[in-house]
Amino acid sequence: MAATDTNPIAAPTDLAAHYAAITGTGSMALRILAPILACLAVGLAVTGLGAALGDYPDNVLKQVGVFIIAAVSLNIVNGFTGQFSMGHAGFMAVGGYVAAGVSYYASLLYFGTAQAQDGLLTMGHVFMSLGVVVGACAAAGMGYLVGLPSLRLRGDYLAIVTLGFGEIVRVILQQTSPQVNAADPAQLQALRDAPFSTLITLPFNGPLGFEAIPRYANNAWVWAVAAATCVVAYRVKTSSSGRAFLSIREDEIAARSMGINLTRYKVRAFVLAAFFAGVAGGLLAHIGVPLSPVDAGFQRSFEIIIMVVLGGLGSISGAVLAAVLLTVIPELLRDLQQYRLILYALLLILVMLLRPQGLFGVREIWDLWSAKRPTTPPVTPPNSPPNSPPAEPAP
Amino acid sequence: MSRLLLDARDIGITFGGLKAVQGLTLQLPPGVLHGLIGPNGAGKTTAFNLLTGVYQPQSGSITLDSTRIDALPPHQIAKAGLCRTFQNIRLFGELTVLDNVRTACHCRGSHSIFATVLRSGPFVRQELAMHRRSMELLEVFGLAHLAREQAKNLPYGDQRRLEICRALATQPKVLLLDEPAAGMNPSEKRSLANAIRHIKDRYNLAVLLIEHDMGLVMDICQHITVLDHGVTIAAGPPAHIQNDPKVCEAYLGQPVDAVTT
Repeated sequence: MAATDTNPIAAPTDLAAHYAAITGTGSMALRILAPILACLAVGLAVTGLGAALGDYPDNVLKQVGVFIIAAVSLNIVNGFTGQFSMGHAGFMAVGGYVAAGVSYYASLLYFGTAQAQDGLLTMGHVFMSLGVVVGACAAAGMGYLVGLPSLRLRGDYLAIVTLGFGEIVRVILQQTSPQVNAADPAQLQALRDAPFSTLITLPFNGPLGFEAIPRYANNAWVWAVAAATCVVAYRVKTSSSGRAFLSIREDEIAARSMGINLTRYKVRAFVLAAFFAGVAGGLLAHIGVPLSPVDAGFQRSFEIIIMVVLGGLGSISGAVLAAVLLTVIPELLRDLQQYRLILYALLLILVMLLRPQGLFGVREIWDLWSAKRPTTPPVTPPNSPPNSPPAEPAP
Repeated sequence: MSRLLLDARDIGITFGGLKAVQGLTLQLPPGVLHGLIGPNGAGKTTAFNLLTGVYQPQSGSITLDSTRIDALPPHQIAKAGLCRTFQNIRLFGELTVLDNVRTACHCRGSHSIFATVLRSGPFVRQELAMHRRSMELLEVFGLAHLAREQAKNLPYGDQRRLEICRALATQPKVLLLDEPAAGMNPSEKRSLANAIRHIKDRYNLAVLLIEHDMGLVMDICQHITVLDHGVTIAAGPPAHIQNDPKVCEAYLGQPVDAVTT
């Protein structure tokens, strides 16, 4: 057959293009530094935008950022791996409550108040970061537990299990004990005297909702983390692990026959998605939205699922765009008052009719761009050098 | 006989009262092309499912290069060095041709999520090695120019070839091909036969082949096992099989004296 010794594949241009596609270009240091700088730049840019637009748009922007994180992370389970999870809001709530608990009570013990401290990077910001990380890890742990049944359950059944998870979280959060009121010196003193025995009762204010969480998460924080989430998702998608996820979505039987450990990769997908859902929840708690047990329920899960489906299952840029649209459009429609939800629903129906595969299908926005260019038909005979494949864009 | 790559002894499975495969023994040394034939429903694909761990054999033992594999799950059997193609094509349709093959490289080592996200040096080197190896395999089967196409858009014959490519990417010692020539025209079959011989010699594989095209089987196989109703009714070199009365009976029915005389 083909003369594989004079192999045209090893042609340097092709490999160089591929290398660039995998790595971004450059050295290891650059591969790590470049995305970090890009994330910071995104954070600063959106901060500037928010400042220019005013207070209300600034707040909307924060929510958009949080929902980008939520949608992109749910996409890892529902889009990449093809497991239908309906409990994403549950993971967000776990992350949110843990993060809020850490930063609220650490602030009470350390500052004696839950007012956000002035300054760019204060001890309060450290509490928030710590809280978000701890909350994300707690959510990831829950993701592991929920991921395990996904090995035996498929489709609708798994959806019901994950839906049940969200409801369990909601009910547990409703049973938590009243919040320590920072304005009441007696309660504050009681907390200081016996912090452990107070906190062990989970003082998250039950069905009334956890309030007065310090507002440390500005647009810089939220959007830098959102950009980082996208980088992580993209790098996972375009890697060996990512292809393992995608192959499970395409055909489980073929995937395991090709040596993919279904157990490991399904659970990994759940853990990864739950971790970032926890991050999203943690940040949401710190932008001034009071936490409520209802947020763990199915309504918010559906909102995020709609974002993922609308963007196109498996498409990261699609999830981002859908998260932006579905957070901004309801705000823009606010003037229409009671007709708002009808119009919103009509809009969704229209998009699903016109593009049932979602805005971008499984592809990314830049793929649509390159698809518009006329592609040369592959008429090369088998033994001649192949067309050098177009380079994928770097993250 | 030299060392055996695949040594399945006396394996069997029953579904309820149906004895799907009984007392099947297959012994493949390196470099052999072994045919597994039989009428429809004879248990050929069930035998493949037993070997690849889709079903656990209820009796007998399967040894791959001196490792017992009959209690392992499918992905570990693939890792141990036994890989298959599917009779009803099971490609990863939405993925590109290249990604289909690269996915199968996965079982020869992958990296943690952290290394993946950080794009560590070993990760990048491995991804490049996967890319190179996959393109090389695609080249052997004349699919390299289609590398960026979605697998589902490929014509039927190319999909069959891609399945073989993907199985080879797991670096198997033993390759099981389930009707690789189904639906191909004669010239495609000829080039497929050449490709199978080529890869067998190049990677020193043992190949077990299910095929209904007797011309192809008799042409390329050195040894043939014939199944009927789950039972081995004949085994031996092609010339021997062609003249076996039991085989003729299984395929064509009992000779009718009135007609034959």
